[in-house]
Amino acid sequence: MTAPLLHVRNLSVTFPRGRQSFKAVDDVSIDLGPTEALGLVGESGSGKTTIGRAVLRLLPFAERNVSGEIDFHGRPLTAAKAAELKAFRAQAQMVFQDPVSSFNPRRRIEEIVAEGLRIQGVGKTEIAERVDTALAEVGMSRSMVEGRRPHQFSGGQCQRIAIARALALRPEMLVCDEPVASLDVSVQARVLNLLRDMRRARSLAMIFISHDLAVVRSICDRIAVLYMGRIVEIGDVRQIFERPAHPYTRTLLDAVPVPDARAKVVPSPERAVRASRLEEEGGCAFRTRCPFAQDICARVRPELATTPLGQQAACHFPLPAAAVPA
Amino acid sequence: MTPGKTHDTTTALPPHRAELARGWRAGIARMRFPQSSPLEAFSILFLIGLVLIAAFADFIPGLVNPNFPYGDFSAPPNWTLNGLFGTDGLGRSILSRVIYGARQTLIIVTAATVISMVCGIFLGMLAGYFRGFAEHGVDLFANTMSSLPPVLIILALVSVTGTSVLTMTLTLGILDIGTYARITKGGVISQNDRDYVLAARALGAGHGRVLLREILPNLVPTLTAVVPPLMAGLIITEGSLSFLGFGIPAPAPSWGGMIAGSTDLISRFPLLIFGPILAIVLTVYALNTVGDFLARRVDIRERQL
Repeated sequence: MTAPLLHVRNLSVTFPRGRQSFKAVDDVSIDLGPTEALGLVGESGSGKTTIGRAVLRLLPFAERNVSGEIDFHGRPLTAAKAAELKAFRAQAQMVFQDPVSSFNPRRRIEEIVAEGLRIQGVGKTEIAERVDTALAEVGMSRSMVEGRRPHQFSGGQCQRIAIARALALRPEMLVCDEPVASLDVSVQARVLNLLRDMRRARSLAMIFISHDLAVVRSICDRIAVLYMGRIVEIGDVRQIFERPAHPYTRTLLDAVPVPDARAKVVPSPERAVRASRLEEEGGCAFRTRCPFAQDICARVRPELATTPLGQQAACHFPLPAAAVPA
Repeated sequence: MTPGKTHDTTTALPPHRAELARGWRAGIARMRFPQSSPLEAFSILFLIGLVLIAAFADFIPGLVNPNFPYGDFSAPPNWTLNGLFGTDGLGRSILSRVIYGARQTLIIVTAATVISMVCGIFLGMLAGYFRGFAEHGVDLFANTMSSLPPVLIILALVSVTGTSVLTMTLTLGILDIGTYARITKGGVISQNDRDYVLAARALGAGHGRVLLREILPNLVPTLTAVVPPLMAGLIITEGSLSFLGFGIPAPAPSWGGMIAGSTDLISRFPLLIFGPILAIVLTVYALNTVGDFLARRVDIRERQL
């Protein structure tokens, strides 16, 4: 394997909640290759967004507690000084879930797209040139946006502008945090195609955060499934979708609605309940919802280990092959 | 300027000038106070008029010097310009003193507001952005200031420094720092959660840039809405200090001082107190009304965004 672009080791993030603390990310390790797209999948509160932000060093500095190593290009990001961090900002960019709120409502679009270049100290003529290119790449043009403000554009247009803003800096890595979740389905496809094209054209590395399995499947090479801040399974798209090893991944895949009006979905009540995140407990966090849980699951926390199927899963009793009906 | 004429000049201009003119016209259109009630429109016009009269008092034809006697002592109001509010115990024109007093009051209150806004916004941004110790310190300061009666603070300061326009301005300026700091802090905290601040940081913006160029412009509507009522409060405080004799030194006219002067004679010449009281009441009312109007507009804006 080539040297990873991004190397995350034992990342943990806790947020204070009064006297207690909330472990949003718990001992997560990820490697991201230079042109790889990694999907982060999990239910709300599983730590997807926190990982994405931690990797970009964007967590609110007032109330975070981050431990672990994050290396970018082999250099430790956690110890980066201001100048180093600024250079890193040009190399790693982010696309947000709600494109409209990711723009300052009082700025004009051309200023918004040029903002990063201006901050990075690019010359004026080059800024104009690169803004034009970036807008063209997302299917827009300067004359379309000139003098307008974010609220004058639709969600899909805003998301394309947000992608232009990120790409104007020519980053090597793009973190997409639910980039299509707030868009109409018809617009989703367009934005997804754009991201896929951009990724290929610029050989971008990508971290793609989503709760929508179909979206992740269409864009990613590898997938990490998160549950309560921990990676429970990580592997290639095909492995995860066709032969999930972890019971939670299986639950997620089962939860994908089937386009059949007669099919009845009956969630079993005990498997829909989540344990509290605030109390620290041993054992597997998923055991209360797991149909295969045994005594050992309450005592020993399973570590990520390679399963017979090829991917890694954190489970004492990984599922055998072909467990999911096609 | 007629609309037709403006149109002609813009078409004659090269395109970029024409766009500039269009921007100007949009700005002027916005100045028409949309959705203001008649009382609010009156308040806005009253304040504009007050500022103009105070600024150009020297050029009002026939207005006498406020510091020299002009007619009988304690003459009742009549329908001449200088005698409109009557004359005071020394025979000076009360209208003239109200107008020059307005100038003095507006200068002091505006300068004090600038002082407290600059300090308050600075402290509030530190507190809201960095939280932690900065927030505790600013909270402590703001709570302390708001728990002490303002007149007491000022009396303590003025008894040390003596009365002058400058000390008056500075002491009034200290009063509202805590309030501006608290409002700014709240605004920064709520804006800080929004994705555009995160996006700016992701683009490499430093703290200063995030605070001044991203967050501050979004706080402008909220802050402008609280300025008028706070200014009204300062006018009242300034009036009460002058009334107590701790305000602007004697010969210069001030509203509070004039009320204090006319209370001595109130049983014999009750009409003479109306001029300065009318000035204070109308100004404070207008400022508070404008404050409500601005606050409502902030509300509307927030819902649109």
